[in-house]
Amino acid sequence: MLVNTETIKTRRKTKKKGPALSHEGKWGLLMVTPYLLHFIIFILFTLLASLYFSFSSYDMLNPPEWVGLENYNKLIQDPVFWQSLKNTIYFTVLFVPTQTILALILAVALNQSLKGLKLFRIAHFIPVISSWTVVLYVADAIFNPRFGLANDLLVKIGLQPQQWLNDEQQVIPVLVAVAVWKGVGYMMVIYLAGLQNVPEDLYESAEIEGAGVLKKFRHVTIPLISGTTFLVLVLSTITTFQAFEQVYVMTGNGGDIASAGGPDNASMVLMLYLFQQGFSFLKMGYASAIAWVLFLILFVITMIQVKLQKKWVHYEK
Amino acid sequence: MKKNFHKNKKKIGYIIIILSSLIMFTPFITATLNSLKTYAQYTAVPVEWIPDPFRWENYADVWQMTDFALYGWNSLIVTVMSVLGAILSCSMVAYAFARLEFPFKNMLFFMVLGTLMIPPVVMIIPQFIIFRYLGFLDTLVPLWILEWLAQPFGVFLMRQAFLGIPKAYEEAATLDGCTPFQTYWRVFLPMCKPQLATLTIFTFMTKWNEIMAPVIYLSSSEKYTLPIGVLQMSGAWFGKEQYLVAAAIMSLIPVLIVFLLTEKFFIKGASSSGLK
Repeated sequence: MLVNTETIKTRRKTKKKGPALSHEGKWGLLMVTPYLLHFIIFILFTLLASLYFSFSSYDMLNPPEWVGLENYNKLIQDPVFWQSLKNTIYFTVLFVPTQTILALILAVALNQSLKGLKLFRIAHFIPVISSWTVVLYVADAIFNPRFGLANDLLVKIGLQPQQWLNDEQQVIPVLVAVAVWKGVGYMMVIYLAGLQNVPEDLYESAEIEGAGVLKKFRHVTIPLISGTTFLVLVLSTITTFQAFEQVYVMTGNGGDIASAGGPDNASMVLMLYLFQQGFSFLKMGYASAIAWVLFLILFVITMIQVKLQKKWVHYEK
Repeated sequence: MKKNFHKNKKKIGYIIIILSSLIMFTPFITATLNSLKTYAQYTAVPVEWIPDPFRWENYADVWQMTDFALYGWNSLIVTVMSVLGAILSCSMVAYAFARLEFPFKNMLFFMVLGTLMIPPVVMIIPQFIIFRYLGFLDTLVPLWILEWLAQPFGVFLMRQAFLGIPKAYEEAATLDGCTPFQTYWRVFLPMCKPQLATLTIFTFMTKWNEIMAPVIYLSSSEKYTLPIGVLQMSGAWFGKEQYLVAAAIMSLIPVLIVFLLTEKFFIKGASSSGLK
């Protein structure tokens, strides 16, 4: 909304001015040069190049050679591509709602004057500021199949120890659990900022009408921060669909990209597959085709989310 | 009754938050304890919590026997160059968008918005080819150079900051004969220190922890930054994995210190990333 009023204002101003490039205009253009370069070289050019590559055979040693739809045809018949698409969707469907719901609950719990508030916030932010390499070794303390804390606990209560990341069935749920643990603090802070905008008197009037904690949460908090929820959902879907670092670090053997995605492709996600095809096997054309398919899928999902938002996102007025 | 209700709400809040903080902390505490054990104790089943003896020399060993310091130095170069680039380029571009009138301004600004919609995945391969063409492969340059070209997050952050400053400052500076650049540099920039701090810390954290770009661009190990340097150590430390845990914890310490010192700005940056 801020953006809109801004544009109207500036439009009015530009109308008053003549067509000649003013002193200010020259400075303005000069000062946005870094962004212009960014846009022309690293957005416009890269987009076009990547689209072109996706219709080419390109190994980086020889110039790209136009092959039409061949890459896309191959993609449709590639079982690993379908497997990684399935895994990516599974990962996203498991991760995004879990993280969103937990972040909201934590934010609501934190959004009051508690003692030690700062300490709690810091606790939830340490995973956020850790690199995935740190997370790998920290998570290993819990999920190591031989001597991790999780199996220790399972054995103590009389259950079977599990293989966690080494198990085809468990690898994605474990990755999701770790990713939620790492990311929930960040989303919590976004929610906290949203909660600060909910007027206190709404809660008070709900209380007067006799609403309990759950009712207030359901009928005041959830509708009023649905805008934030929408944003959190869109942002985290987009980033989760492009998840690479976590899978690469957590499932690869000491940073070996070819060994990541296991066991037996059970955690192969689209980005990782793109990386292996592009940077390990130098199939840049094929990798570009994967990138564009990923882009298209994300575009469709985002459009659906935008369409659906009218049904559940509550706007004031 | 109302008082009672508030007490209950607080109680539930405390229970949720303490429980969740424990879940957040336990893995770190366990890992830190692990980093101080001998290998035998590290792999002991059932788990032995407390190291006996505390092997602080694990940390000294990592420092002396690996390229940890070199990786740290590389990370520092990347981080410092990125922060400098982000501060200078984002603030300058943002100033033009916030306070100056120039042709195609709105169109350009919507392009910045549009940039955010495009998933980076489609740009990775051509980017690699550009940097390869420029001879930047296996150097640290591709890890920081893009920060000098005004990334959208910083532009938004700084633009918001500049928009909030009264016009009188601009007029006074112009009367004093300042060019728009001088007004930006001498008058406006010093007034936006909190936002600059947020941008600095945000860029620092992102770059210190980055894994994807180093994986793409670096091939010789003396160029590695900490996250991938520590990751690749596992080959050399087979059967002494407690050293890897120590190396990982050590790579976290600088970020942890910066975070604890500047927590306020970091939280601000995080919340503003949601309010775009």
